[in-house]
Amino acid sequence: MALGLAEGMSLFITFAVPMALMLLLMPPYLKYLRRVGKVSDDMHKTPPVKVPEPAGPLLFVAALVGELVAGWFFHSLIPVAVGLGAGVAFAVGLADDLYVLGGKTKPLLLLLAGLAFVGMGGYVQNLYKPDLTFPLLGDTSPHFIIYTALAVVAFPVVANAFNMMDAFNGEISWFSLLTSLALLVGVVLHQAFSAGFSTARVASVLPLVAVSMAFLVYNRYPARAFDGDSGSLMFGAMFAGLAITGGVEVAAIIAIVPAILNSFYTLSSVRGFVERRKMRSRPTFIGSDGLLHASTEKDAPNTLVRLVLLASPLSERDLVRSIVALTAVACAFSIGISVLTWVY
Amino acid sequence: MKLLPLFFIELVAFLLIIVETYAFFILVVPLGPIPHSITDYTSLALLKVFLIVVLGAVWFFVLDELTNLYVRSKIGRSPTLSS
Repeated sequence: MALGLAEGMSLFITFAVPMALMLLLMPPYLKYLRRVGKVSDDMHKTPPVKVPEPAGPLLFVAALVGELVAGWFFHSLIPVAVGLGAGVAFAVGLADDLYVLGGKTKPLLLLLAGLAFVGMGGYVQNLYKPDLTFPLLGDTSPHFIIYTALAVVAFPVVANAFNMMDAFNGEISWFSLLTSLALLVGVVLHQAFSAGFSTARVASVLPLVAVSMAFLVYNRYPARAFDGDSGSLMFGAMFAGLAITGGVEVAAIIAIVPAILNSFYTLSSVRGFVERRKMRSRPTFIGSDGLLHASTEKDAPNTLVRLVLLASPLSERDLVRSIVALTAVACAFSIGISVLTWVY
Repeated sequence: MKLLPLFFIELVAFLLIIVETYAFFILVVPLGPIPHSITDYTSLALLKVFLIVVLGAVWFFVLDELTNLYVRSKIGRSPTLSS
């Protein structure tokens, strides 16, 4: 497949529009949040500093505009379906930002994002292929009901996994950027080596890459903006939708292994869905040296961050570097899987 | 180098996901002949659910053991004490 000039320009604009929206609108939006008192304590600074939150609404608007641009250029409703799933997750996250939802309510409500997405399958031909493609082994046989059920469940699982990777300056933006780049490589390879694969599926990944990249500017250490649950759940739901429409589910799961492990550790040590603000014991603490330490209490919940800090106490910046390193390795595995799946 | 054990856990999680997802879609889902009665259908469905639970349990057990091993080795060695 070779891209024509018009198609290349359309892809560029699909990337540039959400990026420009983020960079232009974020400074006045953050000023507005400060003015109306929507700020949160950055608990890992001594003394805590106030940071505007939630940036999620702007992240969603930029991503949604990007998806609509992709849909318009490529005459496809696939990006709209992705935007719809992300929109429902964003609404759930915004409700959590404003009212704080329970540990079990949030995943249940997020099922609506999955249902809205698969519901679009009634309007969009070939929204997803109900099978998986494995490296070297090829396609499984199609199983529409099982695949659709798994697709619905994927939304709360992935959105929550992203949400749990949102604890430190720059963690969620780096995570979202790296995983979306791995996803993009997978979808591009799928498009390049499969006949009849629509470029709209590639285009719909670009807004997520652009928004994550632009948000990193404001969210990296020291953070000038927090996304809130509205942002992190939206990132996760969008990632899930894009993995499904792009047909790169296996590579996508591999890219987010650090987040899956993080959720697994928390669920297995806390024994269930518990809102993080209600955990009895903290997994980490700030020592008198100003560094983050892992709690050595027996009932401290395990998180990926606690496991990293068990190796040695770290500053927040170095801790996020370690998480980024773990994510980068997972994304390298993911790209390897994509190459083995689509090129060979 | 300090992250090496975590990279190893990540690798194990990665391999288990690939192998178990493949086993799920290739072995478990199409398992068995086409059921002719409701009893056959129920038994087959229960068998599939059981196998899926086994796959999940293997993933859970292996990673839980690896993580506990890592945490025990670090807490035994760590000079830090929680406040």
